[in-house]
Amino acid sequence: MTGPTDQPAIAPAPVATAQPAEPEAAPRFVIAPGPHVHAEDSTARIMWTVNAALAPAALWGAFVFGAGAAAVLLGSLAGALGAEWLAARALRRRATLSDGSAFCTGLLLAMTLPPQLPGWAALLGGAFAIAIGKAIFGGLGFNLFNPALVGRAFLMASFPLAMTSGWSGPRPWFGAPLDAVTTPTPLAALREHGLAAAFHAVTTAGSPWPALVLGFRPGSLGEGSVLLLALGAAVLLARGIVKLTIPASVFAGLALVTLAVQGPSAAALHLMSGGLWLGAFFMATDYVTSPSMRSGQIVFGLVIGALTGIIRIFGGYPEGICYAILIANLLVPALNLQFRPRRVALAGGTP
Amino acid sequence: MTTATLRTFGRGGVHPEPHKRETATFAIVDVPPPAEVWLPLSQHIGEPATPIVGKGELVKRGQKIAEGGATGVPLHATISGKVKPLDKRPHPTLVSAPAIVIAASGEPAELEWIEDPGWRRIDAAEALARIREAGIVGLGGAAFPTFRKLQLPPNAKVDTLVLNGAECEPYLTSDLRTMLEQPREVVEGALAMARLVRVPRVLLGIESDKLVAAPGLVAAAREALRVAALEGVGGVSFEVVPCEVRYPQGAEKQLVESLTGRRVPARALPLAVGVVVQNVATAVAIHDALRWRKPLLDRVVTVTGPGILEPRNLRVPIGTLLSHLVSACGGLRDDTTRIVAGGPMMGRTLPRLDLPVVKGLNGLVFLTGRGPLETGFGPCISCGRCLEACPLGLEPDQVSVRLEVGRTLETEPYGPLDCYECGSCSYVCPSDRPLMQFMQVAKSALRRAHETGIAR
Repeated sequence: MTGPTDQPAIAPAPVATAQPAEPEAAPRFVIAPGPHVHAEDSTARIMWTVNAALAPAALWGAFVFGAGAAAVLLGSLAGALGAEWLAARALRRRATLSDGSAFCTGLLLAMTLPPQLPGWAALLGGAFAIAIGKAIFGGLGFNLFNPALVGRAFLMASFPLAMTSGWSGPRPWFGAPLDAVTTPTPLAALREHGLAAAFHAVTTAGSPWPALVLGFRPGSLGEGSVLLLALGAAVLLARGIVKLTIPASVFAGLALVTLAVQGPSAAALHLMSGGLWLGAFFMATDYVTSPSMRSGQIVFGLVIGALTGIIRIFGGYPEGICYAILIANLLVPALNLQFRPRRVALAGGTP
Repeated sequence: MTTATLRTFGRGGVHPEPHKRETATFAIVDVPPPAEVWLPLSQHIGEPATPIVGKGELVKRGQKIAEGGATGVPLHATISGKVKPLDKRPHPTLVSAPAIVIAASGEPAELEWIEDPGWRRIDAAEALARIREAGIVGLGGAAFPTFRKLQLPPNAKVDTLVLNGAECEPYLTSDLRTMLEQPREVVEGALAMARLVRVPRVLLGIESDKLVAAPGLVAAAREALRVAALEGVGGVSFEVVPCEVRYPQGAEKQLVESLTGRRVPARALPLAVGVVVQNVATAVAIHDALRWRKPLLDRVVTVTGPGILEPRNLRVPIGTLLSHLVSACGGLRDDTTRIVAGGPMMGRTLPRLDLPVVKGLNGLVFLTGRGPLETGFGPCISCGRCLEACPLGLEPDQVSVRLEVGRTLETEPYGPLDCYECGSCSYVCPSDRPLMQFMQVAKSALRRAHETGIAR
């Protein structure tokens, strides 16, 4: 024997060796079913990681577009968090603010909104997203649609003018405000005036790429910088929170449609729209409203991508991903029924 | 032996923190002789043993003290001493059960074990009788009487003995230490079993983080095969097969698939695909039983986890109280919250330390702090992680949401009847949902429904 094993234990258990059955003694040891260890990820941890991954792009949007954008951000967050708190109280559910899910909804909604939308409208949108998009379904895990996009659809229907004319060019916090209050987004320009106009809308110093990648261009609050969105997406991919399946399928679906109809340059512009990145990586991947199995996710992603292309080219909106995701959300129950795991070996089956 | 590619099973599995380092390098040490042992009559699957010694009788270590019935195995005194009146004692799984209590007294003499020089050549019936008389049960944790597992139905067609050295549960290293320290017994026991069930090959599955044990096993196998050939009982091959470190690699079905590529049908035994599976520690016990007619008296227990001050691998007489093991390992930390019998994935929590070591106990893991399921659980967020983790392709998420709304009978298509409760789904669930328990509940409800005719 190595070590001081013949010495009495430092903290002997509350046990007399030969004394049987001392019923209902103070329960010092937990009796619980296994497993007794757990993977590190929790729902709250996942949600706050998503929020952290979104934060740089959101803050960058507030920086690039100025104080109005900050008001949209705060309004949307306040609306979502307020509604979540109220819903938990009113429906006597356990408090869920800390799980990060409502925050995520508020953040995502703000990032899809025009930076010059009035703050109160954003607040209303955030509240609607949570109350109607999530709480009435039964809260986290039970909603059919992506709550943030429900909020956005609500705002589109209720404030069509504000939702489509609140675009502005970059308006830095410091320095002279830019004069163009109503500027077409690249996709709107593409839609209305064609490819050349679209590239013109984003071209600074002879190249469109700085604007597309960094976000100095008209657009919604959080879609400006594809670079920062891609960074956030990389964090989620590296952490295993999001898999590439859905985003890649979305990109593929959109690429197929736009290539076929509009050709490669336009397709490139479509794929470089921040809205697509935001939707594909951060909204279409929402666990609750996307299929669970990889095979179902591929179909889901392709549908979103294709619908986005169709809406952008033939539909009434320059940006189509919002409705594309909402429509695809409707397919999820059916996709989950269709695409299920294959049993490894059925009872009575042959090896 | 091949090391090029690691074998593994096709689907699912998880990678919990291994925590093997705490004890992997600690040689097995004998626990100081206990003053008393409690030997429950029921330590195996099957009918309890019947005592054949009375109060006040003096017994020697190794002496049979209870007979096994048709389905059970006999029990032996694991220390020399005086038999106390038969009484109910706390039992790790049965809460409280009749046990023969022996208080150490006199000199600690042990029965003498005389080698049978012809032990490799005994016939199957004799071998089974010795295995049964030795009171051997599966030492990997299941505690199924080994003679029954080796007594194949007449129409069984088997061609492989799989020796389970995977030890995929976190924290546990007793099988690793056994393979390192007793490679000859492991190999000889396995070859003897192979001869008994008449299969031409033994495949020892070992997770790749335990390859340190492989050279010794390979050398032992070479020597044992040489001796067997000399004695005219050759014709069995022995291969050490490295497998990926991935829970539940050591589950019978998964290990059989990893090693042979054959998939055991749900709710069937490996026998259905021509394989018999035995644990490495069981092989050692079988070697001792056949060669020396020595019964199962001791077993190796890994005592580990953050709650124990000096983690160790202990060889303990069966029946020794857990509190004695704890003392031998420096005692418990004050913040110990869970005592887990077995590994932390599939092991059970124990309420107390005045419990005896039973034959199936391979580890004792003392955990600290708050564990899973102590703060409730959240709703299913459909993340799909349980679907990915299930090695059988079952759907714990679907089972759980249906049970939650009381639609118990509708859970059947999602596989609870096939679940063998490895716990991978609960392990990964970010909402801390007790998915494995949902599967258990659905399984027993469905079985009852089928029995009573409520369900089809």
